[in-house]
Amino acid sequence: MTVLSADQLTFSYDDQKPAVFKKLDFKIENGTFGLLTGPSGCGKSTLFKLLAGLYPQYGGQLLTGKVTLDGQNIAEIVPFARAGKVAMLFQNPSRQFAMRTVQEQLQFALENLQLSPIEIRQRISAALTELKLEKFRSRQLTTLSGGEQQRIALATILAMDSEIILLDEPFANVDPHGRQQLLADLKKLQQTRHKTILIADHDPSGYAGIADRLYHLSVHAEQIERLPLKNLQLAATTNVAVNYQSLNKGSLAWQQLQLAIGPRKLLTGSNFTLPEGQLGLLSGANGTGKSTLFAAICQQHDYQGSITFQQKSAQKFKLKRWADLVGIVFQNSSDQFISLKAASEINLSAKASHHPEYWTQTRIDQAITSLNLKNVLDQVCYQLSGGQQKKLQLLSMLVMAPPVLLLDEPFAGLDAESLAAALALIKQATKALQLSILIISHQRLGVVETMDYELQLSQQQLTLLQKDGEQKDA
Amino acid sequence: MPKKKHLLNTAVMTVIMLGIGLPLSFSLSVKLNLLICLLAIFYLIACRVSFKTAIIVLLVAFPLALGSWWSFLVFGTGDRWHTAWIYGTRVYAYLLLGMTVTMTTSVKELLFSLEEHLHLSATFVYGLLAAFNLLGRIKQEYRQIQYSALIRGQVYHLWQPGLYLRIILTALNWSGDLAEAMTSQGFSEGEPRTQMQHDPLPVWQWGLAVILILSYCWAAFIIRPW
Repeated sequence: MTVLSADQLTFSYDDQKPAVFKKLDFKIENGTFGLLTGPSGCGKSTLFKLLAGLYPQYGGQLLTGKVTLDGQNIAEIVPFARAGKVAMLFQNPSRQFAMRTVQEQLQFALENLQLSPIEIRQRISAALTELKLEKFRSRQLTTLSGGEQQRIALATILAMDSEIILLDEPFANVDPHGRQQLLADLKKLQQTRHKTILIADHDPSGYAGIADRLYHLSVHAEQIERLPLKNLQLAATTNVAVNYQSLNKGSLAWQQLQLAIGPRKLLTGSNFTLPEGQLGLLSGANGTGKSTLFAAICQQHDYQGSITFQQKSAQKFKLKRWADLVGIVFQNSSDQFISLKAASEINLSAKASHHPEYWTQTRIDQAITSLNLKNVLDQVCYQLSGGQQKKLQLLSMLVMAPPVLLLDEPFAGLDAESLAAALALIKQATKALQLSILIISHQRLGVVETMDYELQLSQQQLTLLQKDGEQKDA
Repeated sequence: MPKKKHLLNTAVMTVIMLGIGLPLSFSLSVKLNLLICLLAIFYLIACRVSFKTAIIVLLVAFPLALGSWWSFLVFGTGDRWHTAWIYGTRVYAYLLLGMTVTMTTSVKELLFSLEEHLHLSATFVYGLLAAFNLLGRIKQEYRQIQYSALIRGQVYHLWQPGLYLRIILTALNWSGDLAEAMTSQGFSEGEPRTQMQHDPLPVWQWGLAVILILSYCWAAFIIRPW
């Protein structure tokens, strides 16, 4: 049995910054299914990378303590020997593959472990079959959706037969169905293959009956606290519905819109007008084309049909003018930032804002405080934690306040408190400035009740959901 | 895309390309340049490369060859006609030599072949491979970067360093994440890996490479035809 433990860890990214933890002790119990919660920026990813032996090799420094795998310092074990014991699934699905296709990716990992060619073939087939991913075998990884990519990453870990699986916010870009599926797969691996699983997730819903250990890490914590499992029951709240409103008029509309990626059709013949002063939720399973719809509205993806602003076709606008009207918060935070430091990112928006009368310095400062970004303002955007990056992106776009704003997974990695603060800011700005905001969010808990309408994308149809379960084609 | 076909092993072709390409820079023979062009064309025909692509590549290079030829003819010293033809044909000799490798093999095949036969480091091979696999996304990324600036009231033009800074930062981020993931998947620098596919290389092909390179050098520097 493999024992992975952290003893007296004090870790810092750089000499000038305070340590992320101080003398932290943590031991992963064998065969358990652990859930680690904690607010964004508290150091969950950092801890995971230390446990996986990636830090300090890839950044920062250990000031005291060490992580040991079966009594040996993990930093001294060669990666191929380590991978059979402990492997990690990352926050950003698309950036964990070196190869082009699913088959090549699994093969790459197994070749690293120096297995025989016969065993490699067997393990690839077994892992793909076990997770029901056979049909993806020769697909190109870049054509898969975020959720599908995470399942391939899990298949890679399964094929490597790693005993301990660390998952760092694996569901940030995965829809509820995909999340349930992955959780069920993981539970099965724990029960039948006696794998040890530890997940960092800001959202504790859906873990009741699955996780058997619950841990909590608070900001600059000395220790990881173990919480009773009944806290998970509390998180499993009933499904709250969208607070359906009748739709206002709006400026941005599309008619007979059709979308496709290569030969795969995503949307056929859709008509809709984004209402002003209202918040919409765009829902749908992984890979149905939600992000592609956003890309099309931003003129970043080809489409058929027409997209108009105040009855004028998007194609008649210069891209510069269009971008002025239609803003977007990208799914990948690093696609958003145009300045190096967090503070200048916000200042830039304040200067170019459509509504400087609303976004006064006082209001901006209040927003920074409510999002808990005050003490990271002098940091480089790209070095913030996943959740902090999301909050910074959101705030900089809200301050810009374009008439139409599309938010692609703006809440990924946010803890409950930050989520509430973010939603409050969005809601206020939408009402006060009559913005049209459409949000893609896989997380529904704590989100849907703030929404005014919901558009669902499934089977190439965009449907406006109605109060009493009725549906209307959009 | 149909699978590219090559008759000689990719590593051997690379060695021939470099082994002749380097002395080619010092040779002063129009006839040898033409001979290389001719042999390379025969090899490309034998490998049945796409005729259309080959013609396009050759046409694109024409202004370069003409430019070389013209400038040596006008500004050269000594036997200007000879010099002009040397430099004019050299462009095509280089190009066709290169095409014998690039048009008959894929990046993946080339890298794996170099890894197996010339002991190119695996870190280099997989790093490059990952970069090539990401190429398709770079274009999308470029459009996104431009749009992300536009929505904030900034314009990135092709000549602005800010644009490249963003692309470099994004690439650094990607490569950092990817390196961590590869390590987590057991990739270890300098350690052996299983070789799933073998890239056959009969010994006679090495012999052929040596003969070709030596006879080129002998012809270029000892016989020295016009």
